[in-house]
Amino acid sequence: MRFPDLMHFAAGGLKGHRLRTSLSLLGVGIGVASVILLTGLGEGARRYIAGEFASLGSNLLIIVPGKTETAGLAPLISTAPHDLTRQDAESLVLKVRAIRRVAPVVVGTASASSGERSREVTVVGSTRDLLHIRHLKMASGRFLPADQPDAAVCVLGARVQRELFPEQNPLGQLVRIGEWRFRVIGVMAPRGTSIGMNLDDVVEIPVETALRLFNRHSLFRILAEVDSHDQLDQARRAAIAVLTERHAGEEDVTVLTQDSVLGSFDMIFKALTAALAGIAAISLGVAGIGIMNVMLVSVSERTREIGLLKAVGVTQQQVIAVFLVEAAILSTAGGVVGLLTGIGAGRLLQGLYPEFPFHSPGWAIGAAIAVSCMVGLTFGLLPARKAARLDPVQALMMRKA
Amino acid sequence: MSTRDLLRLAWHAIWFHRQRSLLTMLGILIGIASVILLTSIGEGTRTYVLSQFTQFGTTLAAINPGKISTSGLPGALGNTVYPLTFEDAEALERIRGLTRVVPVIMGAAPVEFGSATRNTFVYGVTADGPEVWRMGVRAGRFLPRLDLRQGAPVAVLGPKVKRELFGDQNCLGRHVRISGQRYLVIGLMENKGQFLGFDIDDSVYIPVAEAKRLFNRDALQEIDVLFANASFIDPVVERIRDLLKQRHKGTEDFTITTQTGMLETLDRVIRIVSLAVGGIGAISLLVGSIGILTMMWISVNERTSEIGLARAIGATPGQILLLFLSEATLLSTLGGVLGLVTGIGLAQLLHHYVPALPVRTPPEFVLLALAVSFLVGLLSGLLPAQRASRLNPVVALTAE
Repeated sequence: MRFPDLMHFAAGGLKGHRLRTSLSLLGVGIGVASVILLTGLGEGARRYIAGEFASLGSNLLIIVPGKTETAGLAPLISTAPHDLTRQDAESLVLKVRAIRRVAPVVVGTASASSGERSREVTVVGSTRDLLHIRHLKMASGRFLPADQPDAAVCVLGARVQRELFPEQNPLGQLVRIGEWRFRVIGVMAPRGTSIGMNLDDVVEIPVETALRLFNRHSLFRILAEVDSHDQLDQARRAAIAVLTERHAGEEDVTVLTQDSVLGSFDMIFKALTAALAGIAAISLGVAGIGIMNVMLVSVSERTREIGLLKAVGVTQQQVIAVFLVEAAILSTAGGVVGLLTGIGAGRLLQGLYPEFPFHSPGWAIGAAIAVSCMVGLTFGLLPARKAARLDPVQALMMRKA
Repeated sequence: MSTRDLLRLAWHAIWFHRQRSLLTMLGILIGIASVILLTSIGEGTRTYVLSQFTQFGTTLAAINPGKISTSGLPGALGNTVYPLTFEDAEALERIRGLTRVVPVIMGAAPVEFGSATRNTFVYGVTADGPEVWRMGVRAGRFLPRLDLRQGAPVAVLGPKVKRELFGDQNCLGRHVRISGQRYLVIGLMENKGQFLGFDIDDSVYIPVAEAKRLFNRDALQEIDVLFANASFIDPVVERIRDLLKQRHKGTEDFTITTQTGMLETLDRVIRIVSLAVGGIGAISLLVGSIGILTMMWISVNERTSEIGLARAIGATPGQILLLFLSEATLLSTLGGVLGLVTGIGLAQLLHHYVPALPVRTPPEFVLLALAVSFLVGLLSGLLPAQRASRLNPVVALTAE
């Protein structure tokens, strides 16, 4: 039997029963669509997070005070016997060759007000280098001064500017933060949320000023930019050595790299995506069972036809092939329908909610087709074998059930 | 036609096509089993997490510097213009409705004994700590009752720190060095274990004034308070808020997290996640119901002449409808029952092999699963049953 004939026979079996064919198709379609949608969402979320961290720059060391053997919480509870100081930060640039620049960071919350308007803001105390390290952009004015770490000046985030000085030029005006007054020297370009912190809701002030404002001695963290990605690990060890020496021989800091943070996020997201997609893929199995069932019915309905085929010399393998092709066409077509539906639904969601991360990876499309075809072949096997094993004489004699 | 007859007829139809009925049922079985398994894991996790929190009691609240609405992470950012102070803590002690107030300064520091060192969490607290967090002292005693600003070179060790530094030796009466300072060990805490992945036993407690000096901090990281009456929490929270706002010149730059509020939030979050995962699992159920629809459709087609005969001898369209509906419903409910058993079995099996994973199948889930599988059969059987009931008896009889 030639291949085109085979396809024709298989397709004939499907065409004869439009409704049951489309229902089987629907089953596979739903399964594939949900897997595509979920992997798309998972992948989108992963890329979003990765992008957030990438905006930090991949050559970044984050130095946090405190070190414990119980992992995880050290960066949050940032208190250690030895303060992390601005001098610590400066010594890193001087003593570690690979570190290009550093930005000491102090973070806190305070209310900022101008005239009658007031707003709770996140206050970030840092130095001029923060601009380069975090790739920040100015909308107007200038960033923190390079040489006056204790000046009473501030740079407003886009949203703070909007709320405190609507329709006004804030440059040169005074803002009250806590109980102190600061002169506005710059406004940041809108930036949006980054790693859970809305950068537009931030006011930047010089680092020493921030320490005094919050009455603290220790930095919240130090951001250090390394020359190249290859030197990251070496710079990390050198930084720990320098700080240990400065802290009376005690290693009381934790140094995070973007890779280490990103690596664990990446793993969590991949595992989550795989788990959800796996759960959704159960429905593919159920759809496969549906196909098997329909194929079994189809075999018993076409018993006489099969008997005839065998009587004219068609081999067992060819009969198997016919039914396998039928099952595969059914499930692959369902897979294609599901693929289109899944991607369409994802796009639609994205159209409605632009911040919704959706990215269907290229391999998912190939995998969806391959898996749906496999589903057909796997679940078609039993009915196909049943058909192939029919005795031609008995099959021909059988009345239609 | 009685219900009994109906069921008997439906059962005959199912039994006649054993293989296909089994496969159709299998679809529902898998769907129900996966939903039950997933929601059991979700429910188990919820119960576990809630019990983890309630072990500290429900009359607890934590006050942290920073407003949650601005930073999203209170305590993590921690710096505010008006920090939480000892004076704030003392003022809170005078509030009616609070029985205990514990100021907390914590940090990470190396703890040494002889040549052994362990980097661990050091908590500066007061004598009331164990009562507020419901922890017990295994040996010796907890920190003495001191004025908040008065230090004393004494420390109480968590069991894990003790094990790491002292092994099997007695630790009471010995001196440890915390960040270079000498402290007399006066007590050893009971094992408390992990709290959401965080080892409570890996900590050391010292008087809060000592921690203030050690970590060179002026501000408190947290004030934990204990309410006198569990049913009278909200008004007291308001009193705390008013008092602290007044002390902080009218700014609300702190966050009060009550244990009950936290429990409610957690409860909601886990329920939503569990529901979402269960929903994804339910996609299989949908596909399974399409399977029922398909098979019932085929069955109606095959039995066209049979239906015609039944109509000819006086069966009403309603009876035919009911017959096919009961066949579909019987099929799906059987699948549902089997799925339920499989799901619960798998959940228990999982728990047996991975004891860390808590599972729980609440009885209402069981009832719900049965109801859903019944409904699935009813809905997916409706279309084919309607078709069967609307067949013209004459045409149906002459159909081959």
